Amino acid sequence: MSTLRAVQISKSFGAVAVLDRIDLTVQPGETYALLGPSGCGKSTLLRVMAGFEPADEGRVELAGRVVTRPSPERGMVAQAGTLFPWLPLRDNLAFGPREAGRSDVDEVVAELLQATGLADFADALPRQLSGGMQQRAAIAQVLANGPPVLLLDEPFGALDAQTRLRMHEWLRSVLAARETTTLLVTHDVDEALLLADRLGLLSARPARVVEEIPVPFGGARGRHTLSDPAFVRMKAQILDRVLVA
Amino acid sequence: MPLLTDLARLTQAERGDLPTSPARSQGRRRWRRALGVVVPLLLLGAWAMVSGLGWISPGLLPAPWTVTDAGRDFFFGERRTTLAGVVAFDGAGWGHVGASIFRCLVSFALAVVVGISVGLALGLSRWVADLFDPVINALRAVPLYAWLPISLIWFGIGEGAARALIFIGALWPVLIATADSVSRVPRGYIETARMLGTPRHRLWRRVYVPSALPEIVTGLRLSLTLAWMCVIVGELTGTSTGVGAMMNAARETGRIDEIVVGMFVFAVVGYLADLVLRGLTRRWVSWADT
Repeated sequence: MSTLRAVQISKSFGAVAVLDRIDLTVQPGETYALLGPSGCGKSTLLRVMAGFEPADEGRVELAGRVVTRPSPERGMVAQAGTLFPWLPLRDNLAFGPREAGRSDVDEVVAELLQATGLADFADALPRQLSGGMQQRAAIAQVLANGPPVLLLDEPFGALDAQTRLRMHEWLRSVLAARETTTLLVTHDVDEALLLADRLGLLSARPARVVEEIPVPFGGARGRHTLSDPAFVRMKAQILDRVLVA
Repeated sequence: MPLLTDLARLTQAERGDLPTSPARSQGRRRWRRALGVVVPLLLLGAWAMVSGLGWISPGLLPAPWTVTDAGRDFFFGERRTTLAGVVAFDGAGWGHVGASIFRCLVSFALAVVVGISVGLALGLSRWVADLFDPVINALRAVPLYAWLPISLIWFGIGEGAARALIFIGALWPVLIATADSVSRVPRGYIETARMLGTPRHRLWRRVYVPSALPEIVTGLRLSLTLAWMCVIVGELTGTSTGVGAMMNAARETGRIDEIVVGMFVFAVVGYLADLVLRGLTRRWVSWADT
């Protein structure tokens, strides 16, 4: 388990300042959700954390080491999915372990197919899967490398509400079982409260972390949590703060 | 096992969202393909009608039955000994077709190797593209017939010039398709592969080529068709074998029925070659079917 840190990260695109001295720490095994207004730079921050964009200033640290390039130890899943459309699901899941030269590729793939409920679709191409299946497969593809850190950029944003809720329950169980350190970017307060142990609220652009809030709902969260009065109250408070930000 | 039960239920629910069954679309595709014989049959009927009614002079367009007779002679007629340099017709069909196909395949294979290699270099490196794009775009605008004199000077009359012309004709589609498709591989695929541990030097094999294959295959098909079309130009350079050489000889003797036989041979072999190439490459590109 590893601590993921962003230290004083700033980033601009031309004259547009997007991130302004962002500091945040995700503790080992913790799920941390970043919430903020649309276009505030949430995805840019995640891309910097993944090593896809260089920071203008500041650094990303994983377990005390400065990291700059994409690597299997920081797996990222985006809203649009990350599966390779020319590979059957089985080969998509095996992609990372094969690159690493692992000898247990078949076992890893079989376990992930089971964990995602997609064993019957092992030979299907991504386009033959539904949206929910594709996103589960994309997360499994990244988990196949056993990354200590998972970066999720609105992974279920394109799914309908029912499928999204089922995905939240599934992902929560997967993250708990693997104790993966997870940084989730979302604009969906329900998603943040169902999945995260802690929330970070970002200001409008240029984004700064303006507040960190612990989520008090414990481990067993799911559809029943949505009607919990404490959940409803907290959701309203957070929405107010996000809108003010 | 509540998680696995929920997951099974979820997967069951998602089955309803899956795309339409391939069996249905396959049946529809077969039916549509059958429609493709309707137009050739109509054209053949119209040709037979205008010939039978004498609406067109046999000197301009011989009747289908005359062409059929010539075709039979070409492939199954009694082979006669000809003087050196004289292009045979009767019974020489298979030999001419074989010579043309061999000539075409040798030049096509070379065009594929060069086209894909150069196309990859252009598509993968902006620096290489900036350096060579103007030269390549200018060269591919030179008409094939403009290459004819210089090919004859460089490679001599006959085989060498023929192969060079077919190579030049076949090169550009596969080169441009490779360069273009590789340069437009979505950034997301590259990032995912890098994140999953693919080193930069392996990206071309793991991501760029597989992702670009559907367009590269389209380039291959165009190149093969063009190579086959260029065979006739190549065989005007003084070869004594090949369908183009036969047609050129028929033009000199005014045998329009033999010319039409040659045209049919080009059309049928070209069509079959495309079918074979599509069959061979289908499994590389089926993922891109809509």
